[in-house]
Amino acid sequence: MDPKLKEVSQLFDRFKASFIRNDFDTCSNLLSQLKVLLTGFRSLPPLFADTPNAVHELTIASNILPPIRDIYEHAVVLSVKNEDQDAFERDFFQLKPYYTDACNRLPPSPQEYPILGLNLLRLLVQNRIAEFHTELELLSSAALENPCIKHAVELEQSFMEGAYNRVLSARQTVPHDTYVYFMDLLAKTVRDEIAGCSEKAYDYLSIKDAKQMLLFSSDQELLEYIKEEHPEWEIKNGSVFFQKAKESAPCKEIPSLQLINQTLSYARELERIV
Amino acid sequence: MSEDVEMKDQATPSHSLSSVPPSALQHLKEIASIIETGSYSKEVRRIARALRLTFALRRKLTAPVLSSFLDYVLPPASEPHTRLSSFLPNPKEGDREMEVDSSTSTIQTPAAKHLLPELEIYCYLLVLLFLIDQKRYDTAKACSSASIVRLKSLNRRTVNVIASRLYFYYSYSYELTGNLAEIRGNLLALHRIATLRHDELGQETLLNLLLHNYLHYNLYDQAEKLRSKAPRFEAHSNQQFCRYLFYLGKIRTIQLEYTDAKDLLLQAARKAPSAAQGFQIQCNKWAVIVRLLLGEIPERIIFMHRGMEKSLRPYFELTNAVRIGDLELFRNATEKFGTTFSRDRTHNLIVRLRHNVIRTGLRNISISYSRISLADVAKKLRLNSASPVADSESIVAKAIRDGAIDASLDHANGWMVSKGTGDIYSTNEPQLALNSRIAFCLNMYNEAVRALRFPPNKDKEKENAEKRRERHQQEQELAKHIAEEDDDDF
Repeated sequence: MDPKLKEVSQLFDRFKASFIRNDFDTCSNLLSQLKVLLTGFRSLPPLFADTPNAVHELTIASNILPPIRDIYEHAVVLSVKNEDQDAFERDFFQLKPYYTDACNRLPPSPQEYPILGLNLLRLLVQNRIAEFHTELELLSSAALENPCIKHAVELEQSFMEGAYNRVLSARQTVPHDTYVYFMDLLAKTVRDEIAGCSEKAYDYLSIKDAKQMLLFSSDQELLEYIKEEHPEWEIKNGSVFFQKAKESAPCKEIPSLQLINQTLSYARELERIV
Repeated sequence: MSEDVEMKDQATPSHSLSSVPPSALQHLKEIASIIETGSYSKEVRRIARALRLTFALRRKLTAPVLSSFLDYVLPPASEPHTRLSSFLPNPKEGDREMEVDSSTSTIQTPAAKHLLPELEIYCYLLVLLFLIDQKRYDTAKACSSASIVRLKSLNRRTVNVIASRLYFYYSYSYELTGNLAEIRGNLLALHRIATLRHDELGQETLLNLLLHNYLHYNLYDQAEKLRSKAPRFEAHSNQQFCRYLFYLGKIRTIQLEYTDAKDLLLQAARKAPSAAQGFQIQCNKWAVIVRLLLGEIPERIIFMHRGMEKSLRPYFELTNAVRIGDLELFRNATEKFGTTFSRDRTHNLIVRLRHNVIRTGLRNISISYSRISLADVAKKLRLNSASPVADSESIVAKAIRDGAIDASLDHANGWMVSKGTGDIYSTNEPQLALNSRIAFCLNMYNEAVRALRFPPNKDKEKENAEKRRERHQQEQELAKHIAEEDDDDF
């Protein structure tokens, strides 16, 4: 076995041991070393360079590529455990070629769909809906039927429709434990969405209903949230009044400048034609 | 009636002696001479005309005809002759003799002492067209690859026109064999070469082929990155411009930029030649979905175009479901035509439409009722969920926030109260509608002006009567051919 490969293998074993112990600092250090070592294998994705070692690195792909793919899969999970979304994005993009370009040289990974679903969830949390749909287009119809992918797709659908309670109840039915971090982030987004919709749709809500709707366990939490996020809401007689917020919205003005510009452009174009 | 037919049959031989229609080989030789003239005079227009004539002749191409033509154009022992002949199936001896006999009136000397690159590349194109028409896709793939290798070493303005057609069939032959991803690197290299050589027609064609290549594998992100960084210039070919608009429309649709996508797709459908019905159907399918996603309902007439009714039927039923705002009807339509939508690659877009169906349903409810319970809203929308009332409440709240309906919610009583429909003329809507229509008309006018072609003024006064007559004749011929431009590209 190539000494470089041996070193990677040993480092990865140490990484996994630290990962099981939840020693994430050590994991991060070992992962950095592993990534540096992996840059030496030019025949690996995304380069697939035709090196003298290529045969050794790729023809026995069943022995070598899965562990390397495994490294990146662990890296993705580690970034979730560390709650580092930027690291997640970097690691996911390093892993992606193993799922797309090297799929014919490798047996399918059991972690593929959970990680692809996790990435979709991240895009949803970050409100990158266009990218969410672009990623979705890359998935086969079989992949779309997978519970992990389906979970993310249904979440997006519910979120866009406004069925927020469906989004929140989905936290209880996550297909993978790594999803919890993003689901918690999504819950915060949902709370802000519900607040935004409520102030437009209701004249007032009782504190009890508002607390239930905005997912707070105590009145105190609700009052703090209103104080920080929506000071324009008014609390009196045990109810939250949104009327003040509605009144503060400016009445629609006539877009005079826009109209002047348009009229002048019509005149200019007419002059050019006639 | 039968007597008339018999008389016609008897009359035919006497006519055939006096006016023998020129054979396919004869036509090809004429085209070769046009290419030769175009090459020497460096007139790209002549080469383009030769290609138009070729596409009109495409159905008449046979192995013996091509073999004879290769013998006529290429030096017999030359490498191009050997290579191109190897791609052709061995013609039956008798057939070949007959073909040669029919053209004995023409001089059998090669078109030029030394082989013109234009003619060599033209031969590649002919053989490639023949192989594709004969469904010999693997041979076509080999032939197209050989032609591209040869093309890379040539840098002549007059070759560029033929090259752009070759690029198209190169990609097409690989697509037919299911190996489209293989040539992506090569297409990128060719695009780079075309850019460095200022071959704008080549760039235009190759950019579209690359976009098609990426979109074939749903790589929308890469397609957009390439498109945004590729050099821009005035469109040279209407067909290529239509394709570009279509691909860009698809990219914009996936990226949720529906307003841009709608304009691009409708423009592509409008600009496409009337003969390119398949292309127009594709444009209309995507345009219908985009309009539905925008909350618009396409006019019924779109689905009733001649030759399109059958293809657009699934989309018509889908539109109907969205128009009514019935989730059950929508679900039935998506299940019934699921395979069609998957084949058209519009399934994921249709999943997005569910949201619009709900919105339309809500709008209809808010117009019909001044007050309605949330339980009834859920029932009317046919929301199949664990807690339909809670779902309908939050859905209605979001619709109010987004301005889809003008209403308010009463949580305590659990109902939705609709507000009176306002006067639309007291809003900015009419002004916006007027502005968009004026902008559309002005844009069309400006494009028409830009598309006008003016003849060069130089040396006009030196032109004698004979030359003028010849020029007019050429212009009329060109106009006739432009009218029936090679629609088979689509």
